[in-house]
Amino acid sequence: MIQLQHVSKLYGQVIGVNDLTIDLPAGAYGLVGPNGSGKTTLINLLTGQLRPTLGQVGVFNSNPWRNRGLLRRIGLCPATDVLYPNVTARQWVTYQVRLHGIGISESREMALESLELVGMTANMDRPMGSYSLGMRQRTKIAQAVAHRPDFLILDEPYNGLDPVGRYQMTEMLKTWAVDGKSLLFASHVLHEIEAITSSFLLIYGGRLLASGTANEIEQILADTPQEVSLFGADAASLIHRLADEPWVESLQLLDERRELRVALRDPVALYANLAGWIKEDNLEIDRFQTADGNLTAVFESLLRHHRGET
Amino acid sequence: MNPLLTLDVVRFELARSLTLGRSAIWLVLVMFPVSLITVMRFSGASIEPLNWGLTLYFLIPEVICLLGLLLWATPAISTEIEGQTWIYLAMRQSGRTYVLLGKYITAVLWSLSAAITSITLCTIVIGSGASLKLWGVLCVLCVLSSFAHASLYVLIGSVFFRRTMVIAVFYTVVIEFGLSLVPAVANKLTINYRLRGLLADWMNWEEARSAAENVFGSEPVWVHLAFLSLMTVLLLAVAIARIGLGEFPTQQEG
Repeated sequence: MIQLQHVSKLYGQVIGVNDLTIDLPAGAYGLVGPNGSGKTTLINLLTGQLRPTLGQVGVFNSNPWRNRGLLRRIGLCPATDVLYPNVTARQWVTYQVRLHGIGISESREMALESLELVGMTANMDRPMGSYSLGMRQRTKIAQAVAHRPDFLILDEPYNGLDPVGRYQMTEMLKTWAVDGKSLLFASHVLHEIEAITSSFLLIYGGRLLASGTANEIEQILADTPQEVSLFGADAASLIHRLADEPWVESLQLLDERRELRVALRDPVALYANLAGWIKEDNLEIDRFQTADGNLTAVFESLLRHHRGET
Repeated sequence: MNPLLTLDVVRFELARSLTLGRSAIWLVLVMFPVSLITVMRFSGASIEPLNWGLTLYFLIPEVICLLGLLLWATPAISTEIEGQTWIYLAMRQSGRTYVLLGKYITAVLWSLSAAITSITLCTIVIGSGASLKLWGVLCVLCVLSSFAHASLYVLIGSVFFRRTMVIAVFYTVVIEFGLSLVPAVANKLTINYRLRGLLADWMNWEEARSAAENVFGSEPVWVHLAFLSLMTVLLLAVAIARIGLGEFPTQQEG
């Protein structure tokens, strides 16, 4: 479905994506990366909004930059908001479908169907200026799916949704994936994607750091030094326990000796010993935080792996 | 080409642009020449029909049409880009071309409706000093001016989607008002020169023409019409090509 061969995109001297090579069959994928990692550039390349500086982009075996007809098969829900305050959702979605060259009555039917799908039927005749952020987000999803694309791309689709909206969105996307349609879901929040698909693309600094299932990525992470922070009044006292361990790479005392940051080759060994050391030495340790709670740290670990530093 | 789709874009654009602010601007454009003509009419001075004609021509097909189009045609694309709604339109198979065409026609309709309303009101105020023929000629010139200038401004807007208005105003002042009055070959390339030539031709103002040939030209009507038609089509075609092949900022990079 998606073929990228050594694709790079430069904005002047700034690099958007760097030497991406991907070959993905049809399916549901999560595109994970922190803000500014290149997710939107990649999406713009896939939808033909940007031309690659180097390399070749293919979607459904066609070049999206040259073949605008391909857009009939792609639905995009961008991260940006819709700012047509005096237009109703029904007018806007119908207009968006109509711009694909689909007939007037068919466009109206498709718009109604998609607005019903996202639960906007009751409010679709109100001007969008009166909508909440969540309602605008649903309307954006409706315009993305209204023309019945084969491949749906969503850029941060949960922005502004309340818990009920998030649940409904998750269910809708799960159904989309189960129906055999393709999906690319960009987010910087890992668990949002995990609820829908177990296949990930991890992008950071414009580079594809890893791809595969959550387990495969965890395996890569397991082979990569990871940071664990221990917090408490006696955090510094753990140094004499850790200093001689072969699986400890480095130790760092921070925050007036209340935080001990440990770089580890084998986090499991720490977890096995930590509770015992605290009990034996009668230490006051309030909490510890792994890289899992800090996506940037995960990406930095993967970047080191990508560079061959680990 | 799908004319129905263009009409749908026009309908959508008209519906969403029918705001209080825009209606107020439309009214100002209509009333500005009417106010000036009313003051002139009741000032007590005797004004020749030729001078009424020249004044009306300058105020409406040149100033009002250009002001309206500067406001409505120039930012057609840049407002979508600045509002970050361009991506929604560009993601449609026929989005880029038909949105441009639809916005072009919408801008022409807004500007033309203001211009023709203003001409009609001014003609009523002037009374016997303005003939039905002058009203008809000025209406046709407004149509030509609106289509040609809208193409020009849409092109400027699609090439320079940042500081669009500044560039369009600069072009208008320097080229359409400055260069078009310069007695040189270059003035023949301006839209206003052609419109003035048509005005003199259709109103049979031979004296005015012989007194200021560089302003009114000496070419036959068909040359002016051919030039304006060619320029309108050419500028619009370049704008469509530019929009179709351009890379535009879609949103902040994520």
